[in-house]
Amino acid sequence: MKQWLKIGLLLAPGLGLILIFIGSVVYIAIAQSFGYYNLSGESGFSLEHWSKMFDRLSYTRAIGYSLYIGVASAFLAVAFAYPLAIWLRRPFAGSLFISAVLKAPLLVHGLVAAFLYINIISYNGILNQLMQALGFWDGPRRLQNDNGAIGVLILQTWKNMPFALLLLAGAVQAIGDDLLDAAADLGAGPFDRFRRIIAPLAVSATQAALVIIFVGALADFSFQVIAGPVNKQSLSQLMVFFKGYGRWNDAAVIAVTLMGLGITGSGILALFSRFVMRGGRLS
Amino acid sequence: MNTVSVQNVSMRFGDFTAVNDVSFTVAKGEFVTLLGPSGCGKTTLLNMVSGFLQPSSGKIEIGGNDVTFVPPERRDTAMCFQSYALFPHLSVAENLQFGLKQKKMLPADRKRRLDDVAEKLDLVAQLDKLPNQLSGGQQQRVALGRALTMRPSVVLFDEPLSNLDAKLRESVRLEIRKIQADYNLAAIYVTHDQGEALAMSDRILIMRSGQIEQSGTPTDIYNFPKSSFVADFIGNANILDATIIKEESRNSWLVSTEIGEFLVKSDTAPVAKQLKICWRPENAQHGGAELNSIEARVTHRAFQGNYTDLFIEINGVAQRVQWREGRLEDLTNLSMHIRPEDFTFLEAIT
Repeated sequence: MKQWLKIGLLLAPGLGLILIFIGSVVYIAIAQSFGYYNLSGESGFSLEHWSKMFDRLSYTRAIGYSLYIGVASAFLAVAFAYPLAIWLRRPFAGSLFISAVLKAPLLVHGLVAAFLYINIISYNGILNQLMQALGFWDGPRRLQNDNGAIGVLILQTWKNMPFALLLLAGAVQAIGDDLLDAAADLGAGPFDRFRRIIAPLAVSATQAALVIIFVGALADFSFQVIAGPVNKQSLSQLMVFFKGYGRWNDAAVIAVTLMGLGITGSGILALFSRFVMRGGRLS
Repeated sequence: MNTVSVQNVSMRFGDFTAVNDVSFTVAKGEFVTLLGPSGCGKTTLLNMVSGFLQPSSGKIEIGGNDVTFVPPERRDTAMCFQSYALFPHLSVAENLQFGLKQKKMLPADRKRRLDDVAEKLDLVAQLDKLPNQLSGGQQQRVALGRALTMRPSVVLFDEPLSNLDAKLRESVRLEIRKIQADYNLAAIYVTHDQGEALAMSDRILIMRSGQIEQSGTPTDIYNFPKSSFVADFIGNANILDATIIKEESRNSWLVSTEIGEFLVKSDTAPVAKQLKICWRPENAQHGGAELNSIEARVTHRAFQGNYTDLFIEINGVAQRVQWREGRLEDLTNLSMHIRPEDFTFLEAIT
């Protein structure tokens, strides 16, 4: 018993923080989504907010759109980071500088990056002027807030790729030269060395990068508001919309949806990436 | 026909020349060892044969084909790495079949090769294990097996036993030699362990500063070193500066050294009037004799089990002998002789 008390006390500072700060937020969101803590009406258990939300087209569209942004951003960031991590695996003249420059977006706030991006692609922005000057385009084109959310994906990739690079570079650098030499010696060319050695051995870092980027991009607000399509809403945009009208319980439904999608999506992504990177097996 | 032919190969890294104009051949079924101290260029040379490095100049042929600039994945070689380099995420069976899958070999053929190698290397019970579940000796055998499943023309060994303990090293080196002979493979083996080289090789190439200092069979290299470097590197040797006084008879020379005058018998004539000569510590004979007698003072002794190393002083010059019999704890003075044929002429003193 004493032993348990000791363990409990030792764990208390960490566990306490998790339970109080994160647990209480999660609890309030879930409770509010089921009708409790209603700030503008009667409180009590109700499935009404959920059922009404499921009937809204804007809700299901926002789920699809947010999943698209989350999944595509995660895969794009990892896909761009992988070759760079392999290229920078062995130090060479200038590699430290290149590595530092590539990680620079980590130091730029997302909002700032979004505004800079808008400046570049705006109707009279640098890109439009350049394309016209080079003779590729006859006149300026509207690139901002494109319907395919390419702008959001570019921003998400730009912002998250350095983070993926940070994780993947560590994992790739930990793979010894002799392993890759041995694979080459046994007939594996560069792609097979990646497929059969680097990818399976860096699978944990890949999973971590995919999951963390996915969760962040899934709940994106700032890039969406500034550079996202005007005819589509992300889940967080929808949540803020409801909250703005004082509909806290509806906003809580979306918050719980986001959390659920985050957990489920992360699990699926982690399993999927393990399956692919380990050559079709999960062990 | 030679399986491997290395012709005038050099490797330069900036101003530093790691391998300088080296040539040698390895025949099918022959076991050749590159032996030398750290930094002598032996691993660089092996890496050029395997394709991990491209020589600055020269030519490498395998099976009669010029492979100088062919990448390792397209060479008919297989390497056993010093660290074993087993793929940690793959089971022993998957490690052994890695190269065969690359070759897109049919599953039935792969299985046959796997079974054959696993049985030969006593790995049948380990096939489902991961490398980290194996002992050092077993890991070494998997590394060897992985190379052998490929049935390469040439198998390359980069100090494969250096991570094993002394006892295991002895048994594994016998296994390697036996399997190499069974498969009739050309083998190039890199080591800095002279005992390993002597025990395993058909031929030894002694390397020094990027060049081959001497090549020959283990007995030739041991008994007839051509330089004080080789004499000292292979086994133990007492090396002396000597001056030829006269030729006593055919193949016999009277020489003067710091520790006395000796008669030296040699099939090869001395290369200069002033040169280095050597004698092996184990060739010291008990008691005085008519020829080449020596009186020495014992300064230190080190018991080695089946013999005792005696560190002696003759006319103030430190020498070493290996004594096999008797109780030596109280031995302070030693009477011995060296047979004329146990001296070897080395290089000239410059």
